[in-house]
Amino acid sequence: MVAWAKEGHEAAFRELIRRYERPVFALVYRMVRDRALAEDLSQETFIKVLNALASYNPDYKFSSWIFKIANNAAIDHIRKKDLDTLSLDGAPDADTPDAIKATQLQIGTGGESPLDEVASKELGSAIERAISKLRPEYRACILLRFVEGYSYEEIADVMEIPLGTVKTYIHRARNELREHLADRRPETPPAKAP
Amino acid sequence: MSDLTMQHLTTEELELWAQGLLGAARTMHLTECTLCFAEAQQERRLHLTLSQLPLFAPRAGFADRVMAQVKVPKTSGEFRA
Ligand SMILES: [Zn+2]
Repeated sequence: MVAWAKEGHEAAFRELIRRYERPVFALVYRMVRDRALAEDLSQETFIKVLNALASYNPDYKFSSWIFKIANNAAIDHIRKKDLDTLSLDGAPDADTPDAIKATQLQIGTGGESPLDEVASKELGSAIERAISKLRPEYRACILLRFVEGYSYEEIADVMEIPLGTVKTYIHRARNELREHLADRRPETPPAKAP
Repeated sequence: MSDLTMQHLTTEELELWAQGLLGAARTMHLTECTLCFAEAQQERRLHLTLSQLPLFAPRAGFADRVMAQVKVPKTSGEFRA
């Protein structure tokens, strides 16, 4: 498929868009929580990827490549937006508990800003709100793992971080999600072990 | 009791269990450890919740809007999927 596209077949380009527009858009939308913005960033992602297709290395998974560019675009946007309103002293790579806490509060504001009508309908559930409270890096890891079904190794590839960091991020993200969700759980009876 | 059933489940093993993919020997640990059992249940709830997240798609015409800004190299031949 990618080989066909590299040869310059418009239909192959369209087929690549058809295959990846939903997952790429869904990832970016859950990162930035704004439909119009997510459309713009997704569109930029595809334009960038398709215009650079000639230099694409076929040893590398196409999906990893496009998710990497989409995720970078979303995270760059979130950071830029937060820099407009808040100082980000060492936040993106915070690794002490205090630094992480501070980062959470700062970057987390992006996810808690008022949503437009469509977004609040689509992203208003408890789990979506819990995901929005995660640091962007955690959020990307969780979405790639549990929504896109990526392995830890593939996530490390997409996010350009070490495998150990992926494990740490997912572990922390999962704990935070469980905490956020724990408050509203008594109606669900506990599942039995298989 | 063997070594395999004595050790607490790792995060990855809990994740496997929640997906029904953990081996029998390690799954046995859950019958003996209330700590891991509670963790496993929470993990499964989280998995269930995440697996029910809705799919989203961009507005119709997304491909046209992208293609309007993509340079397609000159080509010959037909595309087959
Ligand atoms: Zn245990």
